[in-house]
Amino acid sequence: MSHYRINRRRFLQASAAALPALIAACGGAGTSTPTAPQAKPAITPTAAPHVSGPSGASVTLTVLTHWGDQSLLKALTPWFEECARKVNVRIVHQTVAFDQLLTKIMTGRLGGQSVDIYHFYNLWLPDFVGSDLLAPPPVDVVDDIKSSYGQGSVEGVTYNGQVWGYPTEVDSYQLIYNKRIFDEAGVDEVPKTWDDVRAAAKRCTKKDSNGKISQAGFMLIKGWDSGVVHPWLSLLWSNGGEFVSKDYSRALFNQQPGVQTLGFEMDLINDGSVNLGFGLEDFVSGKVAMTIMANWWGASLRASSLGIKSFGSAPIPYNDGHESVALQYNWLWGVDKNSPHADMAWKFIECLNSPRNGKASPMGEYLTTGLNALPSRLSDQKALANRINDPFIKPFVDALRNARTEPIIPGAQEIKTSLQKQIEAAWYKQKSPKEALDTAAQEADRILQEKRQ
Amino acid sequence: MRTISATKEAAREGRAHHRVLGRKAVAGYLFIAPSIAFLLVFALIPFLFTIYVSLHDWNMLVPLSRARFLGFENYRYLLFEDPLFWQTFRNSVVFALGNVVLTMALSLAVALLLNSRLRLRALWRSAFFMPYVTSSVAIAIVWSNLYHPTYGLFNGVLQFLGLPTLDFTNSPSQAMPSLIATSIWHELGYYMIIFLAGLQSIPGEVYDAAKVDGAGGWQQFWRITLPLLRPTILFVAVIITLSSLQVFDLPFILTNGGPVNSTNTLVLYMYQTAFQFLRMGRATAMAILLFVVVFAMTLIQLRLLRERE
Repeated sequence: MSHYRINRRRFLQASAAALPALIAACGGAGTSTPTAPQAKPAITPTAAPHVSGPSGASVTLTVLTHWGDQSLLKALTPWFEECARKVNVRIVHQTVAFDQLLTKIMTGRLGGQSVDIYHFYNLWLPDFVGSDLLAPPPVDVVDDIKSSYGQGSVEGVTYNGQVWGYPTEVDSYQLIYNKRIFDEAGVDEVPKTWDDVRAAAKRCTKKDSNGKISQAGFMLIKGWDSGVVHPWLSLLWSNGGEFVSKDYSRALFNQQPGVQTLGFEMDLINDGSVNLGFGLEDFVSGKVAMTIMANWWGASLRASSLGIKSFGSAPIPYNDGHESVALQYNWLWGVDKNSPHADMAWKFIECLNSPRNGKASPMGEYLTTGLNALPSRLSDQKALANRINDPFIKPFVDALRNARTEPIIPGAQEIKTSLQKQIEAAWYKQKSPKEALDTAAQEADRILQEKRQ
Repeated sequence: MRTISATKEAAREGRAHHRVLGRKAVAGYLFIAPSIAFLLVFALIPFLFTIYVSLHDWNMLVPLSRARFLGFENYRYLLFEDPLFWQTFRNSVVFALGNVVLTMALSLAVALLLNSRLRLRALWRSAFFMPYVTSSVAIAIVWSNLYHPTYGLFNGVLQFLGLPTLDFTNSPSQAMPSLIATSIWHELGYYMIIFLAGLQSIPGEVYDAAKVDGAGGWQQFWRITLPLLRPTILFVAVIITLSSLQVFDLPFILTNGGPVNSTNTLVLYMYQTAFQFLRMGRATAMAILLFVVVFAMTLIQLRLLRERE
């Protein structure tokens, strides 16, 4: 009996000691969630929601964005005020950091505290639509979107044949280069083809006395899924390749064009033109000649000590026999399906995105001033031409004409992360390009099959 | 007659004794009730919920009632199909082993040094303890700059000494040692304090007797300090192992699990699975599997402690 008691006590002791460990294991991620490392400028959350609109309004709408930085709020709030007054609603504006946005949407939904309006990344559409999170827009809103935005942007907010919200910020990728390094290396023409890039990168590369690259001809961004995959996809499409089959049933990126594309990146590494230790800050400080990046990065280059005039942008380099194709992705406004005021929410969003007597829409104004981004609405691009047509931004705007939207497929984030890791495995010579892409394609096929069930 | 009366008296006393015991028991239960309630609400119920979720396919965007029941599919996939699960588990174990061995050795060495008659002892103790009270996020950001291949301080020092520079967190083979080094720097002060407490609980008479018997410094260390410090060493070893197996913040900020998953730990992978891939069921299955490892470690600790008793 005594022996039994001792064992039971010991078991209880063990359980008591282990349970907090379990909680830590279960909640480790949640309880200790610092700001994610992100290449985008850090956007800090506001301490409290920001309220706009007439105090007598009977309807209150809650809006969730990742625009919590004080300078962004300063640029956005007057437009919120204006539309809140027009629609006669009160707006409670909640903000979180970008890396917390999806978690906030999930937990809000789970806790029965969903907001009325979301501003979100279009890659999340399959999960949101599959979970009945979004309300389809009214017919007039759909008509307005289809007629007033570029094809890429409309595709970017469409899933399963349905438009789900107003496109806002659009980002495209281009080759960005350092003019001083080009001049010093005698590179007179901006590279157009892959061969041009290799030749220019070799000429621009400098090594120190230890043989290490001190000035890189080309920078491959690593450790960040979009930074790795978006430029690679732009190059893949500029080599006639495809990401997935049209019915989203299987990956195609491991076919010959994909292997060639990764082979091109490997050529740059093997030429000694790439230092994988370099990051975005090295480009900003003038240690890299070329990279492929999105237009929003222009804000960092503008703020750099070298200034935006030191940098140029040009179309995505293509492989001989093909044409340059850039990747674009969108953000959009959507309305929660459970919102009791969905009609008012759509009116508020419509106001934000509608031209004002021939002038740009409030969102167009905000995106080009506060956020330094490209507006999706064609009339905004025209009305704000003076802002978006500076020599650095213009190629990004021009690229939208034949840009392809990032594939919006179920499990897209998981597939993208898996592909990023495999591309990096090839860069570090742990796998051949073919092996790396086959592994990523196998994983992508499994995810696509799972998501179809 | 006397016997009957004595029996009745004994029975009365027995009942009174039981009443007292019963009252004491009720009071005892009342005293521990808050702790029991705390454990139920914050440990047991979440634990059971975690097990329940781990048997489902759930993305947190739909009510749990709409989650698809999968049985043990999440566990089967992790254990038999997912190479990343085993890689991240291996990374966690390597991180834990490196941390245990090096942190223990260094914190004990520093504790021994600071337990001696050193000048400015309080200042040194504070200096070693300071990293521990600094946010690990801040530490990770600072160390990522120190490790930077071109403008980082460490490569600057190596260059100054005429040595070849290193890639640190940019190399798949050097990233994990770099992560362990950062973690050691962060936690060394805390374990140093625990060792100091252990060292100061060793009676001075034992050392005096050893000196009288002619024992030198090394002999005193091996024959007195280490054996008498055994419970502290064991405690520190278990605590470091458990906390290392659950490491998240340092790899998340410093390397984001890279390059090529070389520093991707199990809890970081769990976070990615839950909050980036929206696979809550699979992530909770990982949490349960990690729990099994942590629980086993705790049982081993208790066993070792019992052997000591």
